[in-house]
Amino acid sequence: MARANIFVGLEIGTSKICAVVGESRTDGSLRILGVGQVPSRGVRKGEIVDFETATQCVKDAIAEAEDKSDVTVGSVFLAITGSHISSFNNRGSVMIPEDQEEIEDSDLDNVRAAAAEVSIPSQNAFIHSILQHYYVDGQEGVLNPVGMLGRKLDADFHIVHGIRTRIQNAIRCVKELDVEVEDAVFSPLASAQVVLDHHQKNLGALLIDIGGGTTDYIVYVDGAVKQSGTLALGGDHITNDISMGLRLPIARAEKLKVEEGSVILGNCLPGETVVLQDESGFVGKEVERETLNTIIHMRVRETFDLLKRKLQQQDNYLDYLGAGIFITGGCSLLKGIDHLAGEVFELPVHIARAQSMAGVKSAIENPQLAAAIGLIKYAQAIHMDKPRGWISRLKQKLPRFLGLLLFFIS
Amino acid sequence: MIDINRSLHLGHNPAENITIKIVGIGGAGSNALDRIVLDGVENADLVAMNTDVQALTGSVAAEKVQLGREVTRGLGAGGDPELGVAAAEESLEAIRTSLEHASMVFVCVGLGGGTGSGAAPLIAGLAKEQGALVVVFATMPFGFEGKRRRRQADEALEALAREADAVICFENDKMGDAISPKAGIHQAFASADLTISQSVRAIASLFKRPGLIHIGFDDLRVALQNHGAQCVFGFGEAEGDNRANEALTRALKSSLMDRGRMLGDAQSVLVNICGGPEMTLNEVQILMEELGKHISDDAQIRFGSSVDRAMGNRMSVTIISSVAVEVEQVAKPQPAVIPPVALPPRISRVQPKPVAKRQPVVVEPEPVETDEDVEEMEQPAVASPAESFVEAVAEPMEEAHFAEPSAPDSPASEDEAGDDSLFGLDEPKPAAKAPAQVEKPAARPRPPVTRPPRIITQPSPVAAFSAAPKSSQEKQETLQFEPVTRGRFEKSEPTIVDGQDLDVPTFLRRNVRVK
Ligand SMILES: Nc1nc2c(ncn2[C@@H]2O[C@H](COP(=O)(O)OP(=O)(O)OP(=O)(O)O)[C@@H](O)[C@H]2O)c(=O)[nH]1
Ligand SMILES: Nc1ncnc2c1ncn2[C@@H]1O[C@H](COP(=O)(O)OP(=O)(O)OP(=O)(O)O)[C@@H](O)[C@H]1O
Ligand SMILES: [Mg+2]
Ligand SMILES: [Mg+2]
Repeated sequence: MARANIFVGLEIGTSKICAVVGESRTDGSLRILGVGQVPSRGVRKGEIVDFETATQCVKDAIAEAEDKSDVTVGSVFLAITGSHISSFNNRGSVMIPEDQEEIEDSDLDNVRAAAAEVSIPSQNAFIHSILQHYYVDGQEGVLNPVGMLGRKLDADFHIVHGIRTRIQNAIRCVKELDVEVEDAVFSPLASAQVVLDHHQKNLGALLIDIGGGTTDYIVYVDGAVKQSGTLALGGDHITNDISMGLRLPIARAEKLKVEEGSVILGNCLPGETVVLQDESGFVGKEVERETLNTIIHMRVRETFDLLKRKLQQQDNYLDYLGAGIFITGGCSLLKGIDHLAGEVFELPVHIARAQSMAGVKSAIENPQLAAAIGLIKYAQAIHMDKPRGWISRLKQKLPRFLGLLLFFIS
Repeated sequence: MIDINRSLHLGHNPAENITIKIVGIGGAGSNALDRIVLDGVENADLVAMNTDVQALTGSVAAEKVQLGREVTRGLGAGGDPELGVAAAEESLEAIRTSLEHASMVFVCVGLGGGTGSGAAPLIAGLAKEQGALVVVFATMPFGFEGKRRRRQADEALEALAREADAVICFENDKMGDAISPKAGIHQAFASADLTISQSVRAIASLFKRPGLIHIGFDDLRVALQNHGAQCVFGFGEAEGDNRANEALTRALKSSLMDRGRMLGDAQSVLVNICGGPEMTLNEVQILMEELGKHISDDAQIRFGSSVDRAMGNRMSVTIISSVAVEVEQVAKPQPAVIPPVALPPRISRVQPKPVAKRQPVVVEPEPVETDEDVEEMEQPAVASPAESFVEAVAEPMEEAHFAEPSAPDSPASEDEAGDDSLFGLDEPKPAAKAPAQVEKPAARPRPPVTRPPRIITQPSPVAAFSAAPKSSQEKQETLQFEPVTRGRFEKSEPTIVDGQDLDVPTFLRRNVRVK
C-alpha cells in the first residue's frame, strides 16, 4: 500500500521523452517527486518511427526519473498522440428493464457499451469513451443517474479511437523495458487535467498543446469534452521551414527559432538582422529578422487557421468558449503566439501550464511537461475511483474506457 | 560591328500578356520542377505530370496531373514508353485543361524512362495544338543506364523535335563529370536539375523583368522557331568588378554552347542582359562587344536588357539561338562522335569540336554550410536534391533496417482481456508508411500492371491510391507533392490536409519569396 499512491506519467514526445513521478497525497493534492527528461530520437509527429532508438531514450528517461525521485518505476501512464487518432460524439440509449425500480450501476455500463456500438474502421481501437451527459427519460443535465427513477437512460459520449497497431507501438516500446503500461491516454486529455481547472471547463475552453511534432487539441464545453484531435504539425515544421528558407542546418534553425523567433510581423526595424554565431563564437551569416519571423508567422498562422476550420466543421463549439483558449506545449513559448492565436480565433488566449501542483517547480512551470504531469492527475483520478470497483469490471468488459471516470472527479 | 538590326520594344509592352506554364513530366521532370520552385520563378505556373502517384505526391508544384490512372494504377510506367503514351492518351483532357491559355509551355523531362519518353511528345503536341510556343528541356540517360533506355530516349527526342518549337537537350553523361563515381548519379541528377532550372528561369524571366530594351515574345519565337535546327543556349551570371566579362564567359561555357563556337554558325541570336539598378551602359557595351567576337557578322542579333532590383550587384546574360544543321554539316563534316549536346537524332548533327574539357553548367549549388556546421547532419525536409543527395544515398539502408519488424515477439500479456485490447502484443509492429524513395531509374522493377487497350478515357473520380487525399472531384486531380527527400519528416506519414502536403514549408506553398 505504501507506494500505491505513486504514479508515473510518460510522454514519448517528438522532441523530448519525459517521465514524471508524482505522489498523490491523502488530502487529494499532488506532488511531483522527480522528472526524467531526455531529448527524443526515433520519434516523428508524435509516433515512433525507429523502435530501438526510441526504446533506448525511454529507458534513459525512466532511469533518470527513478534517480531523481528515488522511486522504482514498475508501471506508467502513457500519453499517446498521432494523426491517426480521431474522435466523434455518440449517444447510447438503454431501456431500463420493467422489473427494475431505479437506475443501477450496471445500466451505466450498458449505456456506455451501447454508445460504443458504432462502427470504427476495423484496424482501429477505442482509446477513450468520455462521458458528456446523461439523460433520464429525455431530461438533460443529470450528473449521476444511479438511484433515479426512469424508463430510458441515454448518455452522450466523446469517443476517441486510433489505429490499433500504432497505439500498440508506443505501448510495446515501454513493455520492452519490463515496465507496465497502466493506461494509454490521449495526450491533450492528459494535458487538460492540469492546464484547465474545473471552472474553465465549465465555462468552455479550448486547449492547444503545440509540441515538436503534433498540435493536439481538446474542447470542453459545459464541463464535458466535445471535440479532440491531433494535427501532425508542430515546432519541427517551423524549424524545417526556417532551415529551408534561410538555408541553415536543422540544429541552427532550431536554435534561431527558440532564441530569436517571433510570430509578430512588422515589429523589426527595416534591415534589422540577427547575426548567427557558430560554436566558437565567430560571427557568421546574417539573417534578416523580418524574414525569419515571416517564415514562422506563416506556418503558425496556417496551423491556427487549419485548426479553426477543423473546429468549425463540427457544431462550432468556438462560440461556446467562455474561458477562451489555452496554449501549452513547447511552442507556446514562441514569442507573440498568444497574439496571433487571438487574431485568428478572436477569443481571449492564455499561455498555460500545469496548475495546482506542488513539488519540482521548474517542471511545473515548463509547458513542455503539461502532458506528462497531466497523466499523474489522470492516474490519481482513476485510482481514487478504484475502490468502487469500476476499473476491474471495465477492464474485462470493455476496451480502455477509463476516460469516463474523469467526469466524476474533475 | 554589332548591328542590332531590329526595332526594339521600349519598356514593357502591356499588350503582350504572356502566360508561361512549366510542365515537369515523369520522375526526372518533376524533380527539375522542384529545383525550379526552390530557385524561384515568379511569372510562371508549374504543373507536374506523372503516372507515379508517389512521386507526384512528392512534388512541390502547385498543380498536378496524374497520367493514366487506369492504365498504370498510379504506379509509374516502369520504363515502358508505350505505357507512357497510353497514360497520356488516357489523360488527354486533363492535360489539355491544364495547358489551356498558356502562351508558352516549357516541358522538362528526363528521357529514357517510360512516362517522360512516352508522354512528353504527346503533351508537347497538345500544347502546340493550343497555340503555345513549346520549348522542351530534355535530358538523355547516362551511358550506364543501358542501351534500351538510350534507344527509348533517342526515339522520344526525335518525336519531341517534331512536336516542339525547340528542344534543348542535355546529356546526363556530360553534366556530372566533376563528380566522384560513387556519389555520381545523384549529384549528376542534381546538377542536371540545376542546369535545367537555370535555363528555364532564364527564359521565363525574359518576360517578367521590366526591360530597358524589351525582348518580345516574337523575338523568342523567331530565335527558336527554326525547325530542323539545333538549339543553342547559354546562361551565365557573375558579380564583382569584372562581372560583365565573367557572366559572358560562363554563358559561353554552358554545355550547350561549346564555348561559343556554336554561335559562329547562328543566323539569329537572342541576347538578354539583366542586372541590378547599378548596371551601366558601359558594361552592357563591353559584354556585347565581347559576344560579337563569337557571332558571325551577318547574324541578326536580338538584344534585350532589363533591370531587376533582386539582382543586386549581379549581372546575368542569356543567349538563345538555333543553328541550322544542314549548313553546319556541309561546312564541316566530322567523324561521328557522340555529341556532348544531344541532338534530335534525325538531324544527326555531329559535334565538330573536341569533347575535352567541357564544363557542366553548374552555377555552384548554394552552400548549405555543412562544413561550418558539422555538428548537424540533419537536412531540412524537402531539401533539393542537390542539398540532400548524400542523405538520399544513405537512405535505403536505414529504411531496410526499419522495415524489419524489429520488435521481438514478446508474448501477449495474459491479463488483458478482450480482442480490442491495445495492450496485447499480438500484432506485428506496423511498418510505418513506406517513405518516399529516391527513384533509381535502373533498379526499378516493372510494376505489375496489365495494360488495357489504349482507350482514351476520363480518369475515374475514384482515387486509385489509398493514402491520397480526396481532392475535389475535378477532372484534373490536384495531387500533393512528396519531396524526394523528406529530411526531418522522412519515415513519418506525410501531413496531408485538403490535398496539400503541409510538410512543405508554408512560405513555399504560398509562393512567398524569402531572402
Ligand atoms: N535530371 C534528372 N534526371 C533524372 C532524374 N531521375 C531520373 N533521371 C533521368 O531521367 C530518365 C527517366 O527517368 P524517370 O523520369 O524517372 O522516368 P519516368 O519518365 O518517370 O518513367 P517511368 O518511371 O518509367 O514511369 C532516367 O533514365 C534518368 O536518366 C532526376 O532526378 N534528375
Ligand atoms: N522558447 C521556445 N520558443 C519557441 N519554441 C520552443 C521553445 N522551447 C521549445 N520550443 C519548441 O517546442 C517544441 C517541443 O515542444 P514539446 O516538448 O511540447 O514537444 P513534444 O512533446 O516533444 O512533441 P509532441 O508532443 O509533438 O510529440 C520544439 O519544436 C521546440 O522547438
Ligand atoms: Mg507533447
Ligand atoms: Mg517515374
